[in-house]
Amino acid sequence: MSEFLSMSGYGKYLWPAFALGFGIIVLNFIMAVNSLARAKSEAKRRLEMSS
Amino acid sequence: MNWTWFHRLASPPHVYRFARRWTPWFGGGAALCMLVALYGGLVLAPEDYQQKDAFRMVYVHAPTAWLSMMVYTTMAVAAAVGLIWRMKVAHAAAAACAPVGAWFTVAALGTGMLWGKPMWGAYWVWDPRLTAELVLLFLYFGYMGLRAGIEDPGKADKASAVLAIVGVINIPIIKYSVEWWNSLHQTPTVMKMGKPTMDTAMLWPLLLMFLAFALYFATVLLIRLRAELLRRERNASWVREVLS
Repeated sequence: MSEFLSMSGYGKYLWPAFALGFGIIVLNFIMAVNSLARAKSEAKRRLEMSS
Repeated sequence: MNWTWFHRLASPPHVYRFARRWTPWFGGGAALCMLVALYGGLVLAPEDYQQKDAFRMVYVHAPTAWLSMMVYTTMAVAAAVGLIWRMKVAHAAAAACAPVGAWFTVAALGTGMLWGKPMWGAYWVWDPRLTAELVLLFLYFGYMGLRAGIEDPGKADKASAVLAIVGVINIPIIKYSVEWWNSLHQTPTVMKMGKPTMDTAMLWPLLLMFLAFALYFATVLLIRLRAELLRRERNASWVREVLS
């Protein structure tokens, strides 16, 4: 396991790169879902006000 | 030729429903492909004879860099369609692309820096490929800033579309910079004429990761597009129907 994590000595560069790349993937998804939730609640509020 | 499909793309309720239906499928496919590609890239693929295990960086760096360019191209095409055919949905799609592309450019630059340090001895060099990728990030920022700076949505759509179309010139510069100029960055190994120079055991996880990232982009784009359509069409009757 420690050999796998070490990645022939490049682990200190490799794992942060994967964390950054996949961290941005997760963050991007969360931001998109939040953006949709905000747009939905704004639209619902506007519909309620107009009815 | 039947152009009905193209005309339906101009209909916000049709596109909204299409996006809602397909998002889980694209998302599920992306997650599945990503997991298999990660296992293939980190565990099954043999180490490189020169770079050893550092080459595994390719499984996160290459797809993010490729996507940063693909998203910009998609954004420019959508902006051009919006400008030529005055299609509001196309402008909404272009607007939805920008933040996703900007994040992928940040990821490409960050992972590239982390790969550059052990290979070149420096996190950053003013190499043509790296510099052109940085220009791409500024183009995304410029596009988003321009949209945010103009209050009238119609004018914002047109001005930002022109910027997106002009900026697309940077994409071939990024792609061919390693061939046109002396560059520290390696030349293409997968996206090249003829056979890729990568071993099959290393190649299939990379190709699968490309597919995973493309599906992921489709997922996030469709979610952001729905949000954009709801904001733009908030007074339309179809919004009441889809939200009830």
